Amino acid sequence: MSLLQIFQDINSAFTGFFGINSYVQGIVILTCINIIAVLGMSVLTGFTRLFSFGNAGFMSIGAYTAAILATRYNLNFLLAIVAGTVFSAFIAFLLGTITLRLKGDYFLITCLGFGECVRVLFNYTKGLTGGSAGFSNIPNYSPMLFVLVCTVLAFYLAWRFIHSKYGRNLTSIRENELAAEAVGINVFRFKRMSFVFSAVYAGWAGALYAGYLMYIVPASFNLGKSCELITTTVIGGLGSLTGSVMGAIIVTLLPEAFRFLANYRMLLYGIAVVLVIMLRPAGLYGYKEFSLKRLVRRIKKLFTPKSTKGGDAGKKGGLTNEASA
Amino acid sequence: MKPVLEMQNVEKHFGGVRAIDDFSVKLEQGKIHGLIGPNGAGKTTIFNNITGIYVPDAGKIYFDGQDITGTPPHKVAQMGIGRTFQNIRLFSNLSVMENVIIASNLDATYNMLESFLLSKNYRSKEKALQEKAMSLLEVVGLSDRAEERASSLPYGHQRKLEIARAMALNPKLLLLDEPAAGMNADESAELVEFVRGIRDKFDITILMIEHHMDVVTNLCDYVTVLNFGKTIAVGTPEEVKSDKRVIDAYLGSEE
Amino acid sequence: MFIQQLVTGISVGGIYALLATGYSLIYSLLDFSNWAHGEVAMIGAYTALIMSSNLGLPFIPAAIIGIGGAAAVSYFNERVAYRRIRHNHSPNMFLMIAAMGLSTVYQQAANVIFTGKYKQYPFRLPVSTVQIGNAYLGVLDLVSLGITAIIIIWLIYLINKTQFGLNVRAIACNNYTASILGVKVDRSIAYVFFLAGGLAGVAGILYGMKYNIFPTMGNVGLKAFIASVIGGLGSVPGAIVGAIVLGIIETLVAAYVNSSLRDFFSFALLIVLLLVKPSGLFGVDVQDKA
Repeated sequence: MSLLQIFQDINSAFTGFFGINSYVQGIVILTCINIIAVLGMSVLTGFTRLFSFGNAGFMSIGAYTAAILATRYNLNFLLAIVAGTVFSAFIAFLLGTITLRLKGDYFLITCLGFGECVRVLFNYTKGLTGGSAGFSNIPNYSPMLFVLVCTVLAFYLAWRFIHSKYGRNLTSIRENELAAEAVGINVFRFKRMSFVFSAVYAGWAGALYAGYLMYIVPASFNLGKSCELITTTVIGGLGSLTGSVMGAIIVTLLPEAFRFLANYRMLLYGIAVVLVIMLRPAGLYGYKEFSLKRLVRRIKKLFTPKSTKGGDAGKKGGLTNEASA
Repeated sequence: MKPVLEMQNVEKHFGGVRAIDDFSVKLEQGKIHGLIGPNGAGKTTIFNNITGIYVPDAGKIYFDGQDITGTPPHKVAQMGIGRTFQNIRLFSNLSVMENVIIASNLDATYNMLESFLLSKNYRSKEKALQEKAMSLLEVVGLSDRAEERASSLPYGHQRKLEIARAMALNPKLLLLDEPAAGMNADESAELVEFVRGIRDKFDITILMIEHHMDVVTNLCDYVTVLNFGKTIAVGTPEEVKSDKRVIDAYLGSEE
Repeated sequence: MFIQQLVTGISVGGIYALLATGYSLIYSLLDFSNWAHGEVAMIGAYTALIMSSNLGLPFIPAAIIGIGGAAAVSYFNERVAYRRIRHNHSPNMFLMIAAMGLSTVYQQAANVIFTGKYKQYPFRLPVSTVQIGNAYLGVLDLVSLGITAIIIIWLIYLINKTQFGLNVRAIACNNYTASILGVKVDRSIAYVFFLAGGLAGVAGILYGMKYNIFPTMGNVGLKAFIASVIGGLGSVPGAIVGAIVLGIIETLVAAYVNSSLRDFFSFALLIVLLLVKPSGLFGVDVQDKA
């Protein structure tokens, strides 16, 4: 009985017990995958202010690596996912080393080029990836519970990362690069670290995506997908991990809730982005994380003339310091 | 005694412009040295050469006996040279406290795995960072504003924060770029006390660019006067003030 | 055969150049990459299409209205979205995000209104060839090339020899100083957007004549961006040169190597170039004063 079989059985038992049908499972899985990818984007764009229009390329690398290893070489699915993630990170490391010394706009275009190159390349290499016809027969290694666990883990790691010296260095780069250098931060090295981090998460998300759909085509990981990651991060709020989670949930769930608007999904999305950036550039959360303390404080304010200090600790993990601005 | 900072015949051009020409200086431990001169004389360029933002075209720079010519900025900072900027460069959206903590990240000797697992080392190092930052803020008198957004501070306080942040590097040398800029007479006097206090408390060496002559006179032990990238006088503030060449260079711009 | 490809390449490069110059102008003024520019070209193409197909107008009036439509949309983008973000003193990346959003909106709107079907202009386009020596050169390509050349020469004259051009160059150097000296900055910027939009409109129509008209044709703006980067962001002559170079290389790669790897080579070229000369061919290295 393989590990995957065990995971799938546990999942079936769970979803059977709570009566969660496959449609709902699918939505949860897709939302979680988006959350993971957007968390990576958030670290890169929201906390370090680097713009990459090519992270879909890392999703693609993660997806195909995991898919090929799991399908053609029967590799254990956990190892396949890890391999996809690691390979994605490796490529990001190389690419970042070459391109991160360039000015911001130039870096952006090289990332864009990278994403497109990956897509074109995977379309071309029919023997390895199945080309534009796609790669199929991928085992279903993304049962809902497993994906949920991955998502929680991903959030925890991102939170720890941001609230440590690493995250602080990244935000200082965002705020003022020259000053960051002047206080001893190797800006290039940390930018690269941020880039690799985003690639790890993108690769992870891509690998899970392959296991869910069981069939992937290069075209799913196109420029549009990269743009979607950035816009979701913006809507959720730059510089906020919980904001990004909210953003990803909204962006994935809303189209389901408003099925009749399916054709207009991207259109409304674009309008939302423009409105947000014009009227409330901070997005949903902007620079702040969701905090129970603040929520309680706000509610108390409604009922008393004087404001009082809230009581509970922050939502995830007992931190002594919130990432508040 | 070995000089804390020594610059030998440093030159820097930009295209055809000689921003610094044959500049030399020796800074003694614990002294406050002023760098003055009309605008465009090359003062900030000297700072940028020391901190590695520019690489000198000729000459050498020694810090505590070590050759740091052309060393990248982050390494220079790690070696113990802190600086402030002419246009205050704070991490605006971050809190006062966070600004100082970030500069202490060199003391945060833990790795990524430890930060994920919340190991004892990680927790104690983070606590130490907080405490150190708090004590620095107390020294500069900003501890009651620790959680406020850096950009919401009044101008004078922002300057102090920038200095506190530079001090978090445990520097041996502090470079201050026009710390009294935009201040009136009262604020300048307070700044003089403040900087002298910092020097006394931490026993560091300070190199300071300044235009406010009363600040220079009251604070600096020695002064180098620059004009068009060339040194035209060196000495105590009194000596330099009465030097004919200096008066000619400034002609009527004394504040 | 080679001459043929070369001419096609230059002609395609010309289309890229019309877009790239607009791109570069906007970049040099506002220091941001206007992602929505390709969609402006697309709108120009579709406007001309509606005028000719649905309203039966002949070529020249339809084209003129198409160009006007593109220019108007470009001006609208600036007036409504970008200007507001600028006046909010938001960081530059917000402009880029807005441009991205606008780009999505226009693309999707076109998809919804016109569907994704490839459309053509109803005029009879010249498909004949002209024989010069051993080469058969497409008449359409030559005409496109000619139009592009005339417009670019006029643009260079505009930038270098007129008051308007002087204003624009002043703003590109220093926004604040220019405004103190009496240049109406916002208005000049609006004019530039209008102008760039018009150029994009021409590019869109030419592109539509050469290939097809479809909602995602705005992606050609990406080529324009690459061309601008190759030539050096912010340099208009650089953008023109970069565009022509890109057009030629693309066409040659498609003809002699492999057409499906064409984009791959374009980007690889870009990355290699940036590694060798990080500010592009004619780019200016601007450093922040510390």
